[in-house]
Amino acid sequence: MSNPSKLSGRKRNERVAAYIFTIPAMFLLFAFLVVPILYTVRYSLFQYQIVRPDNILFVGLQNYQKLLSDENFWLALKNTVYFTVLVVPFQCVLALALAMLVSSKFRGVAIFRTMYFSPQLTSMVVISILWTVLYNSNPNTGLINSFLTSLGLEPINFLSNAKTAMNSIIFMSGWQGAGYQMMIFLAGLQGIPRDQYEAASVDGANKVQQFLYITLPGLKGTIKYVVMITMIQAMKLFTQPYVMTQGGPKNSTKTLVYYIYTQGFQQGNFGYACAVAAVFFVIVVVMSLSMKKLIAETN
Amino acid sequence: MKMKKVSSMLLVAAMALSLTACGGSGGGSTDEANATGEASNETASSDGAVNLTIWSPTDKEAVEAWWTEKLAQWNEEHPEIQVSREAIDRSDSYAYENKITTAVTSNDLPDIFYVDGPTVSYYAANNIIVPISDYFSEEDLSDFVDSTVAQCTYNGELYAISSTESSVALYYNKNYLTDCGVDVADIDSRTIDNPLTWSELAEIAQKCTTDSYVGTHIIMDHGEGLSYALEPMFISNGKDFISDDGAVAEGYINSKESVETAEYLANMIANGYANIDPIQDEFLNGACATMLGGSWDVSILEGSAEFDWGVTYYPVSDTTKKAVSPCGDWSAAVSKDCQNVDAAGEFLKWLTNTENTATYAAAIAKPATRNSSYQEEAMAEYQSGPRAMFVEQLQNTAVPRPRTPSYSVFSTKYAEAMTNIFSEAASSHSVDTAYIQSELDGVVAAFQEDYDMYYAN
Repeated sequence: MSNPSKLSGRKRNERVAAYIFTIPAMFLLFAFLVVPILYTVRYSLFQYQIVRPDNILFVGLQNYQKLLSDENFWLALKNTVYFTVLVVPFQCVLALALAMLVSSKFRGVAIFRTMYFSPQLTSMVVISILWTVLYNSNPNTGLINSFLTSLGLEPINFLSNAKTAMNSIIFMSGWQGAGYQMMIFLAGLQGIPRDQYEAASVDGANKVQQFLYITLPGLKGTIKYVVMITMIQAMKLFTQPYVMTQGGPKNSTKTLVYYIYTQGFQQGNFGYACAVAAVFFVIVVVMSLSMKKLIAETN
Repeated sequence: MKMKKVSSMLLVAAMALSLTACGGSGGGSTDEANATGEASNETASSDGAVNLTIWSPTDKEAVEAWWTEKLAQWNEEHPEIQVSREAIDRSDSYAYENKITTAVTSNDLPDIFYVDGPTVSYYAANNIIVPISDYFSEEDLSDFVDSTVAQCTYNGELYAISSTESSVALYYNKNYLTDCGVDVADIDSRTIDNPLTWSELAEIAQKCTTDSYVGTHIIMDHGEGLSYALEPMFISNGKDFISDDGAVAEGYINSKESVETAEYLANMIANGYANIDPIQDEFLNGACATMLGGSWDVSILEGSAEFDWGVTYYPVSDTTKKAVSPCGDWSAAVSKDCQNVDAAGEFLKWLTNTENTATYAAAIAKPATRNSSYQEEAMAEYQSGPRAMFVEQLQNTAVPRPRTPSYSVFSTKYAEAMTNIFSEAASSHSVDTAYIQSELDGVVAAFQEDYDMYYAN
C-alpha cells in the first residue's frame, strides 16, 4: 500500500529536480538562441552599418518596408522555396529507395550502407568544390560533360546557366543528404514486424503490394519526421550557393540565408540583414508549426 | 545484432554531425597559429614594455618563416616594444574579413592588421584604422611605387603601408601559339609602349581555340578577381569604374565606353574563346593558350610548366591605346583600438624598410613596393625576365582600384553583374548590349544607395 501524501511529495520533489536539471540547457538556449533572436529583431529597426556600432540610427519599420519592395528578397525567397519543394521529395524518395536496397540481407551490405552514408561524413564545402569540378562546362575538365560529349551529346553549362544552376545544386544536395535520411528509414524499416510480410506473401501479395500496404503505412511516422527535418534543413541552404555559384548566375541560386549573409557581412547592411533574418525566422517557425499541426491531425 | 549496433552507431554519428553542422554555420574557421608565442591584446606588460599584436592572413611556409625570423629580430633589438603575430586563415574567402568585422563590433581588434588594398578606404572612412602619415615622410613615400601610395591614401592621409604589390599581364603558351600559326616572335618583341591591342588578343584567342584548349582565360575568379584583373580594360577604353573622388558611379561603370568593354569581354565567352568557369591553373594545365594572369604565376610556371611560355604587357583598347595595368596587395594598418600608435608606427616603418621589404617580397614571390628594394640581393630575380616586366608595368602603368568607402558593395555587385553578363553570353552564344547596360545600371544603383546612405554628407 502506498501513502498518497508521501507520493505527491515525492512527485513534487521530482518536478523540482526536473526544473533544476533543465536550468543549464535553458540558460544556454536563452543565451545563444533567445537573446540573439531578440537582438535581431531590435537591430532590424535600425540603419546599422556593421562596422559602425557607434553610429546606428533608429528607422522604425523602414527596413521591412524596403524588404517588401526589394525584388532580390522575393527572388531569394522564391529560390529557397523552389529548392525546398524539389529537394525534399527527391531526397526522401532517394533515401527510402536506398534504405530498401540496403535493408536486404546479402553479403557486403554493410559496405553499401557505409558508401551511401559517407557523403554525410564529408564537409559540404569539400563536396561543393568536388561537384563544381564535376559540373565544369568544359568537356576537357568537367567529368560529367566529358561523359556527355563521349555519347555525342552537347556539353551543358550546369552551373553557369541560370536555367540549370539550381537544379544542379538540388541534384548534388539530394545525393549528399540522402545517406542520413536513409539511416532513419532503415531504422524505421527494421521496426516493421517481419511476420506482416510473411502473412502478406502467404495471402499472395506481390512486392509492390507489400510496399504499398505494409512498408509505407509502417513508415508513416518516420516519413513525417524525415520530411520535416529535410524541409527545415533545405530552407537553410547556404554552403552550396556560397561555394559553387556565389548566388548566380542571374541570381538563380541566391537563397534567403545567402542573401542575409551578403547583406550583413559583405555589404555591411546589418540592420537590413536583421530584418530579412527576422522575416526568415517567422517563415520557418510558421512552416514548422504548420507541419507539426498537419502531423498531429493525420495521427 | 552486430548490424544493428553498427546502424545505431552510424545514426549517432549522423546526429552528432548534423548538430555540429547547425552550430558551425556562421563565421569562418581560423587557424590561430602563432609565429612567436601567445598573442595578447594587453598594451603594456609588467616590465613596462609595450605589446603589439598583428593579424595577417596565413601564408606559405617561406612567409611564415620570414615573420618568425623578423619578429624575433625586432623583439631582441627593441625590448621596449614587443610584437607578436597571429596568422588568420583566409580560406580563399571572406573568413579573414569576417573576423575583422566581428572584432570591430566587439572592440577587440589587434594593434596592427593587414587589409586588402581597395578596402583601405572603407576601413578609413569608418574610423576602424587611423592615419599613419606622421611616421612616413614625403621622402620615404617617394621610394614607394605611386600605385601603392595612392591605394593606401584616403582623404589625403596615409592609412596603410605595404611591402608588396601585384600586377596582371598576358601569359602565352608558345607551343600552342606556334601550332596555331600565331607569330610568337612578334608577341615576344612587344614593349610597354607597344602592347597587344584588344583586337590582336581576340584574333590570337580565335586562332588558338581548338578542340583541346581555349584561346584565352579572362576570369580569375567570380569575386574580387573580376574587378582586380579587368578594371584596367575599362580605364583603357576611356572610363573608370567610379569617379576619382569615389562618390559617383553614374556615367562611369554604366557609360557607353564601359558597356563596350563588357561587350568585348562577353564576346570572348560567347564565341567560346574563353571558358566561363575555368578550372584552377587552367593555363598551367594546358587548357588555354593565353591567360590574363597575376605576377605570382611566374614562380608557379617556372616550377611546374611543361611547355615554353612567355608573358607580355596588359592589352590595350584599340580606340585609346592607353596602357593601364592592375595592382594592389595587402597592406598593414593601425587599428582604432591600438593604444600605442607611436610604437605601431615605428614598427611599421621598420617593417617596410628597404631590406625588410626586399626579403618579404622575395619570400612571398611578389614585386616589392619600394624602388630601392630592387637593388637588394633578395630581389636579384627582378632585374630581368618576366618579373622585370611586371615591375616595369607597376612603375609605369599601374592604376589602383577605386578609393571609395563603398568599394565592397561596388565590387560584389560588379562581380555579380559581370558573371550574369558572361552567363548570358555563354548560354545564348551572343552578346546582348541592352542586357549589359541593364546589369551595369544595376551596379550603379547598388553602389549609389550604399554611398548615399552611409557616406554622402
